[in-house]
Amino acid sequence: MPPTKTRPIEKFAKATAKCSAEAAAYGKCVVADYNAVQKDMCAKEFMRLKDCFLAASKKV
Amino acid sequence: MSLRLLLRPAIFSPRTYSASSSTTRSFASQTSGTPVWDVFNSKTKHLQKDRAAQNVEESRKVDYIKDEVATRLCERLLDIKREFPNVLDLGANSCNIARALATPNPDPEAPSSPALSNRISNLTCIDTSKALLCRDADEPWNAEMNLTRSVIPDLESLPYEPNSFDLVLSSLSMHWINDLPSLLAQVNSILKPDSPFIAAMFGGDTLFELRTSLQLADLERRGGVTPHVSPLADVRDVGGLLNKAGFKMLTVDVEDIVVEYPDTFALMQDLQAMGENNAILHRELGPMSRDVLLANEAIYRELHKEEGSRGIPATFRLIFMIGWKEGQGQSQPLQRGSGEMNLKDLLGGGDLGNR
Repeated sequence: MPPTKTRPIEKFAKATAKCSAEAAAYGKCVVADYNAVQKDMCAKEFMRLKDCFLAASKKV
Repeated sequence: MSLRLLLRPAIFSPRTYSASSSTTRSFASQTSGTPVWDVFNSKTKHLQKDRAAQNVEESRKVDYIKDEVATRLCERLLDIKREFPNVLDLGANSCNIARALATPNPDPEAPSSPALSNRISNLTCIDTSKALLCRDADEPWNAEMNLTRSVIPDLESLPYEPNSFDLVLSSLSMHWINDLPSLLAQVNSILKPDSPFIAAMFGGDTLFELRTSLQLADLERRGGVTPHVSPLADVRDVGGLLNKAGFKMLTVDVEDIVVEYPDTFALMQDLQAMGENNAILHRELGPMSRDVLLANEAIYRELHKEEGSRGIPATFRLIFMIGWKEGQGQSQPLQRGSGEMNLKDLLGGGDLGNR
């Protein structure tokens, strides 16, 4: 594979790395009660993380 | 859902096939032998290995674990002062064991010892993936020994006569075997009497970080879990398995290798390049959802990242096992309780409470 071509996963990783604060907030929310995780338990934090990720992935 | 339900094979009603006028019905009968639950899709595994080996450069770059384990496995050969005319490497990947055997000075305590390959006349490496097996066929270390590469259709049925090998080695392949008891029994059968089987496999807590964080991410994002990391044999099981297959004088030990990765994506990319991606039969097909990947990265970091380190840890737990085929004149373990000396006196003693 030529080095000029970046795999989608690498772009994904780069964009995610720019949202460490949001990721930490989401991570803390899930881990705080990891024995009783339910669907959308941390939806608010996740949406913030995803918004940040989407914004960052446009720039990558 | 319990594992039993997940693993239940599909049952087809005979009704759908009765297009002809046949109206005979018979009682359902049990198939002979013990039923085998398939966990892994060996065809998928074959394709994954083949695909990984196509990218030679990347595939060589991620051989760090397989090379390290092969080296540690071969170090165990130093303790056996024997010549091995005919050796089998079961599930050779890219012949990592052969490479380790060809390395000079394998003994850290003797600086200039000959390579272990000097004691081996014939080494047969078998695997299912031709691309991976023959990836390094042109490397210089191939000339160090008489090496035969052989592609077999299925690692679970070995095409060899009983009593044909003086040593069977296996490194990081047995964790993809569906029917481990049967394979071990076959290994025992193809070994000559009083010959050792030395193997290393991933076990128990391998990748527990990834397993747990993906479970949490799946739960929180999608409300349920799907298997991403293989079920693995536990250390406790291995002794019993070897025993059941007829091996004697067992030695089982565990080593952990912790590798640091910059992020979960790098970890998963490396696993893919090793050909070690998910091949569970009942896994969810298609790529993982981006939401789960994003959530997983955040949860993995929060749950498992150690303070002060930049990357995330991934644990690889290795189970090393040595078993000997029964043979005449083989040394036997003494009866339990027949010891005449206290080990505490022999080893200098010590109070466990102070440790």
